[in-house]
Amino acid sequence: MRRLARAVSALLRVEIATMLQYRGEIVLWSTWGLVNPLVLYAIFKAGAMSNDNHQMAGLTVPQIAAYYFTMMIVGHVTAAWDTHEMSWYIRTGRMSAMLLRPILPMWKSMAGNLAYKICTLAFVGPMWILVAFLIRPEFNATPKQFMLGLLAVVLAGLMNYFLTYVVALVAFWTTKLDAVGEIYFGLAMFVGGRLAPLDALPGPIRVVADVLPFKYMAAFPVEMLMGRITVEAEAFRGLMVQAAWLVASLILFRCLWAVALKRYTAVSG
Amino acid sequence: MPQIDVHNLTKTFKVPEREGGVGAAMKSLFRRKQKEVHAVSDVSFSVAQGEIVGFLGPNGAGKTTTLKMLSGLLHPTSGSATVMDQVPWKRDATYLRRISMLMGQRSQLQWDLPATDSFYVHSAIYDIPKDQYQQTLDELVALLDIGGILKKQVRTMSLGERMKCEICVSLLHRPSVLFLDEPTIGVDITMQSRIRQFIGEYNRKHGATIILTSHYMADVVALCKRIIVIDHGRILFDGQLDALSEKLAPFKVIKIDLDRDVGAYDFAALGDVLVRESRKVELRVPRANAPGVAEQLLSQLPVQDLTIEDPPIEHVIEKAFGTKLEKAVDA
Repeated sequence: MRRLARAVSALLRVEIATMLQYRGEIVLWSTWGLVNPLVLYAIFKAGAMSNDNHQMAGLTVPQIAAYYFTMMIVGHVTAAWDTHEMSWYIRTGRMSAMLLRPILPMWKSMAGNLAYKICTLAFVGPMWILVAFLIRPEFNATPKQFMLGLLAVVLAGLMNYFLTYVVALVAFWTTKLDAVGEIYFGLAMFVGGRLAPLDALPGPIRVVADVLPFKYMAAFPVEMLMGRITVEAEAFRGLMVQAAWLVASLILFRCLWAVALKRYTAVSG
Repeated sequence: MPQIDVHNLTKTFKVPEREGGVGAAMKSLFRRKQKEVHAVSDVSFSVAQGEIVGFLGPNGAGKTTTLKMLSGLLHPTSGSATVMDQVPWKRDATYLRRISMLMGQRSQLQWDLPATDSFYVHSAIYDIPKDQYQQTLDELVALLDIGGILKKQVRTMSLGERMKCEICVSLLHRPSVLFLDEPTIGVDITMQSRIRQFIGEYNRKHGATIILTSHYMADVVALCKRIIVIDHGRILFDGQLDALSEKLAPFKVIKIDLDRDVGAYDFAALGDVLVRESRKVELRVPRANAPGVAEQLLSQLPVQDLTIEDPPIEHVIEKAFGTKLEKAVDA
């Protein structure tokens, strides 16, 4: 454990240093994370304003602001992108260099993920404050709901990270993964509630969303933080589902990793 | 007990195959043909501790695939191998900490940062005690003469500088077994020579076992007494470099410088004439005849200088990659 902590802290330090070499790029990526929910907020606000009760999917305009503002933050802190990088590592032979080390390549990716979030905080933090000032979100969460909401965000981040990594392992079979990555991100946007609150979706799609993990990586922690999940049992059920998905993704990772290594062909390296 | 012990190691890849053109591409959407490529077939050898073995063969011969299996990157299709009593493809962390594989230009270095950052990460991942890390780093920096480039961003380094840093990072944890795949590829002659010297010194100092692949014969001649020649995934020769030379090139080259032109002297009666100038002659003669021919030349001609040499190893190896080696080995 001490060995791993030493290795991961060194990887984190170096990943931060690498990130800082590309300040412009990380600002642009962070900007996308701000613009996307703001555009969706503007669309939903316009929809709500056109209705007689000034509501959309049961949300008032300040609640719509709270939904997309919270989604902006949750989306940023739970972001994972290994589906975009894994196939590149394999095609260019960089995976071979990583596999020669006595540490799982996943730790490097995790350090890179954390490094991005640490480095971008200086930019997105003030932006979040500015956005909150401009769109005036309305929160109704009690301190307990808020704390449980934070726990839900942590679980959502871990879930998204491991599930993305598991999907990324498909690159060991297909070499190119872009299409699979897009399907994953498309589902995460649509049935995860990133595009629209799930109450705005037709009933059958909401049933599908309940079965899939994406809701628990976005809409669920957002609604917890907003204070929209008022029944405690419902909150705990959601947290349990998150934990179950997390355990399942870890088991899946272990199994797939072993099989992936067996069929690794070490192309280009 | 050998440090590397390989028995009947085989690796077969399934690779997609199709004709060129749009028609074939469309056809492959519905029916994809696959071909089996036997990259390594039934390879067996062993290497003692502290030995340096040259692994030679043309492109696609199976050298790198073998090294990748021994370094735990690839699982074999069949066969077995142990390195330091461990099965490489089980990828035990204790095993990975004791080996290193240098793969030409496949980088362990952080491209965007100075090399020191990569060294630092390496020391943490391999859990090298701080004082040992500093001592090894100082030693490697001095031997490889890279003190002046440690703060340079890796992506701005020349190929030679990067290769030296790559070697440095690969050796920081003092591996007991080294797999070097083309360690001098792409660097100039001076740098090749320095890297060669360094590998030799590392072997002597730490008793490391080394398997080396290279297309530069100078690397092999300078470092390896023993070579394994592999082609089409099969071992064609495993033995001393000198023995290969004797087996494949059973002749010597006699070079003479003369005081004056000897006109119509019949050199062809003594052997194959490789060079014939007015005062310079090179003859290829059977090994056994070399002393007699030399004596005859010295007694009959105004010889200023005479040397008897083995044929260049490049020619020997070139010959080894042809079918003649199989005959030679069989014989």
